[in-house]
Amino acid sequence: MNDLRSRIAAIVERDRAQQPSRPGESGGTGRNPLYATVDPPASGRYPVARGPSASAAVPPAFPFEVREQRIALDDLGLEIVGRGACDPLLIAHLGLKGASPERWQDVLFLDTETTGLSGGTGTYIFLIGVAHFAGNELLLRQHMLLDLGAEKEFIEQLKAEIEPFRACASYNGKAFDLPIIRTRFVMAIRSDLTVDDSHLDLLHPARRLWSNRFGSTTLRQLEESVLDEGRTADIPGWLIPDAYFHYLRKRDPAIIAPVLEHNARDVISLVRITDRVARAVTAARGGRAPDHAPAAFALARGFERTGETDAAFACYESAYCDGDNALRAKLALAFARLLERRGDVERALRMMETLVALGLGSERWREQAESRIRRLSKKRWRKLATAS
Amino acid sequence: MRTAVRFPARVSLEQILDGLARDPDFKQMVTRWERIPPRRASYADYPAWLDGRISASLRRRGILSLYSHQADALESTHAKKHTVVVTPTASGKTLCYDLPVIDAIAKDPTARALYIFPTKALAQDQLAELERLAKDVDIDLKTYTYDGDTPPAVRAAIRSAGHVVITNPDMLHTGILPHHTKWVKLFENLRFVVLDELHTYRGVFGSNVANVLRRLRRICEFYGSHPTFICTSATIANPEELARRHVEEDVVVIDRNGAPRGEKVLVFVNPPVVNQSLGIRKSALFTGRDIAATLLASGVQTIAFARSRVETELLLTYLRSRFPQPQWPQDLIRGYRGGYLPSERRAIESGLRDGSVRGVVSTNALELGIDIGALQAAVLLGYPGTIASTWQQMGRAGRREDLSAAFLVATSSPIDQYVVQHPGYVLDRSPEAGLVNPDNLHVLVHHLKCAAFEIPFETRERFGTEDTPGVLAYLDEQGVLHESGGKYHWSDQAFPAETTSLRTATNDNVVIVDTTGPAPRTIGSEHHDGKARVIGEIDRFAAQVLLHEQAIYLHESKQFQVERLDWDNAKAYVREVKVDYYTQAELAVRIRVIDEFDRRATQRGFDLAHGEVLVSTLTTIYKKLTMYTHENVGWGKIHLPELELQTTSFWCSLPERAVAGWPKERVEVALAGLGNLLHGLAPLLLMCAPHDLGLAVEVRSPHTERPTIYLFDMTPGGIGFSERLFKSTDVLLDRAREHLDSCGCGTGCPSCVGPAYALGNDVREAVADLLSLRR
Repeated sequence: MNDLRSRIAAIVERDRAQQPSRPGESGGTGRNPLYATVDPPASGRYPVARGPSASAAVPPAFPFEVREQRIALDDLGLEIVGRGACDPLLIAHLGLKGASPERWQDVLFLDTETTGLSGGTGTYIFLIGVAHFAGNELLLRQHMLLDLGAEKEFIEQLKAEIEPFRACASYNGKAFDLPIIRTRFVMAIRSDLTVDDSHLDLLHPARRLWSNRFGSTTLRQLEESVLDEGRTADIPGWLIPDAYFHYLRKRDPAIIAPVLEHNARDVISLVRITDRVARAVTAARGGRAPDHAPAAFALARGFERTGETDAAFACYESAYCDGDNALRAKLALAFARLLERRGDVERALRMMETLVALGLGSERWREQAESRIRRLSKKRWRKLATAS
Repeated sequence: MRTAVRFPARVSLEQILDGLARDPDFKQMVTRWERIPPRRASYADYPAWLDGRISASLRRRGILSLYSHQADALESTHAKKHTVVVTPTASGKTLCYDLPVIDAIAKDPTARALYIFPTKALAQDQLAELERLAKDVDIDLKTYTYDGDTPPAVRAAIRSAGHVVITNPDMLHTGILPHHTKWVKLFENLRFVVLDELHTYRGVFGSNVANVLRRLRRICEFYGSHPTFICTSATIANPEELARRHVEEDVVVIDRNGAPRGEKVLVFVNPPVVNQSLGIRKSALFTGRDIAATLLASGVQTIAFARSRVETELLLTYLRSRFPQPQWPQDLIRGYRGGYLPSERRAIESGLRDGSVRGVVSTNALELGIDIGALQAAVLLGYPGTIASTWQQMGRAGRREDLSAAFLVATSSPIDQYVVQHPGYVLDRSPEAGLVNPDNLHVLVHHLKCAAFEIPFETRERFGTEDTPGVLAYLDEQGVLHESGGKYHWSDQAFPAETTSLRTATNDNVVIVDTTGPAPRTIGSEHHDGKARVIGEIDRFAAQVLLHEQAIYLHESKQFQVERLDWDNAKAYVREVKVDYYTQAELAVRIRVIDEFDRRATQRGFDLAHGEVLVSTLTTIYKKLTMYTHENVGWGKIHLPELELQTTSFWCSLPERAVAGWPKERVEVALAGLGNLLHGLAPLLLMCAPHDLGLAVEVRSPHTERPTIYLFDMTPGGIGFSERLFKSTDVLLDRAREHLDSCGCGTGCPSCVGPAYALGNDVREAVADLLSLRR
């Protein structure tokens, strides 16, 4: 037996040596010592319940736990999301395909923490934060799996949590959270996911609005740039799986507390970012397009998709005024079409001619622009002819 | 309509063969001229249970009944028995699995099948075939290949809608099994798993594949399906054993071939010796190309098999120059390499059919079941390494009625020389066994981790070895697994399947980086402006001999010099050079026997054993030797750490009396020579390449206290070679004696005991003395 152990040890050790080391990882134990040195989060604006109460290294009496906190909408600074009825057109701007929920209360905001980032059937969800609106409050519930062996019950409970909702919202859930949830549903209870198609992934609208301006559109970047509220003490994402594995062995609540805090912040930021996207859309509808030209352009295209032509026009106009020539060339054909539809052939023509004269755009673009100019000229002559 | 190709002298194959048989120069090279008589087909009716649409459409195609082996396979698989079909090339093996699968799907559209082929090219070929068949039968059958080339956009559709998913073991390992929850439809309804070319799943690759199949069955169980395995294999000594190791249940063997065959002539050709003292023969490449040219000039459709890409190109260039344009049509002779697209193959195939293509020059890519239509003659430049491959390549020539011919031209290597001088080895029933060892601990532990990633282990679950609980407990202690609720859960961030390749036992290979690119800025640094390219990789044991600093490394007939060996990071930086010497590292090998599994004596007085050993190897110096005269023109030191390999070994020790009174030098020479001879011929029994086995000799072994020869498995932990050698030593020694008796050299050559100029002039005689021992 000892012989077997030493032989497996040699094999396992060799494998480990071949895995690319992660930043800050020390060799040897294969477990990262850093989690211990992460500062406990400074108690922020939002109250966080005390950590799991089980004592060290003793398996918990309940294999999973739910922590609940209620946060007043005013404290979150929400203006649109969570207030009043759901505007289906607005929801479309947030990235939902298909039927819109009627009330904000029907949307479940969620964020998962997992035991790995690579996906596949061996990656578990150990923590999921879900939040929904209830009255004047946001109700945040964090489901934490305290023992991998209790996954079935954990997922059953999660299913019950998700089922009443018409839609869910996430940040990058299309690529990450939902596939993993789907996998866990099959693994633990052989069931399908109910909210599959009605999903608002805020990463995409956020990227359209802000990536040009801030470069990165990670949730943390947006907290800093859009919400003006950066995180100070936060556990880095790549340390989270090891923190959990360490917690499973030591059962020390201090190990997992930073992860719970991280997750709570993620869900709350998701809700607030959703509100910011909604605000930008609503403001543009009211004639106040964003100052930042690429954002105005992105909104203009969104409005065209939802058939809100006037708002689209206002955004194109704003983007055209504020943007550089490259952006102008990019939006000119669509903008000219809207101008033409409003009867302003003269202006559309002038704009196209100016841009072509500046020598902008690709060859293909210029071909399209020139054919448009020809068509617009004909139309203008016809107009003049009928007028005379 | 294409103008017919005109050949000046259109002669029948029969006439050419007559001519060759009468040509005295050619006759001198022939060691065997074998005529295999034609065989009639044995037919059987379509089984009554077979869906009527299938038999009707086959009848429309002119297939009025099945061959008997096809009918046998259908009955066996219909009874849900795992089946292995062992019949030659072009015997209609594909129908043996396509028909049961189409029948199952015709009757139940939810049924699913998984086809596993060893290579991507084969998968493409089978896809086309299956689609044609399904279209004829007129059932809605969705077939897809799922491999590294499958675009992500269509993957989701394949996962849920594909009736037949065609893949390879590597994709199954990293792309399908670890994501089985995306394949619920497939695994819930999996009725058949097809393992084509089973004989290729041997050695390290086979041991890995056997474990991938264990994981596959585990997942099927999770989803409640129990698929029937249908395997096909070339002729090997142990198809049932090999299939059983992969399927791990009883397997029915079907090996009575019902397909007809035309008359066939097999010619074994040994090129003449051109240098008696060095034992060098005329090159197989030159001799083979002359035969091919003769056949082509007479209008015989011919395929030639070369053993490397370079040889393929050389042969192609030569043959094309023999048939220049414009008097000969362009594309008269086509090259064929692995990795050709199906459309390119179809072009060759249709060219062969309408006569615009007369010859094909191929690497062994064609050996594996890819069908480009039958030709009249095949020329094999060099023994392909196994009997199975030899028959497959020879089988490329031969239609179902007409006469065909195949020529095997031997090189100077020991195996080639053995085969050409003992053609019965190929012509009689195969003695080669396909060996796997799925329970090799190194291989098993990797797959056990992958399996734990896929589905948590029950604490009492068995995965291959009886030690499973021990391995699980150990991995739990290491934090790779976490025990909870009676199960071991994967508890690591890593994705285990990606850290394991199926094609090697360990990932511990040295990568060879060519820095020859235009003007690298700093030689040997990691930043050479992106021009560096990886040209190959070899395991560390070979690397210490071949890739030490200053070594001349040969790759695709080019010389490279190793400029820097980064041993810790397993990278060798090489640069192309042109020099007239080669390097040879002196390798000191020490063997420590850890455990002796079994021991016996032979009637020749040898003491045989096999067991577990620790091999330590150390290189200290290398010599520079001139290319043709082997003169020593310099040397250098090698600074590399000692390497250790724990593996299984076969060993054979001589009785003291055998060498009683011999001077120590003679014993050394005799042992070295016998070692070379056995090492060279052992692949005849094992279906492996010579470098899969290591050789060490000790004049006085600390373990046996006698002169001893060790042949050990180069795979850590071993994959079964040593046990097989232990069991078949008598056969090996018989072959060695025969070979030594018939070798044309006087004093010892690279084809038998090793070159006399390097070992000593009495080497052959000394080995002969050892082998003629009687009790």
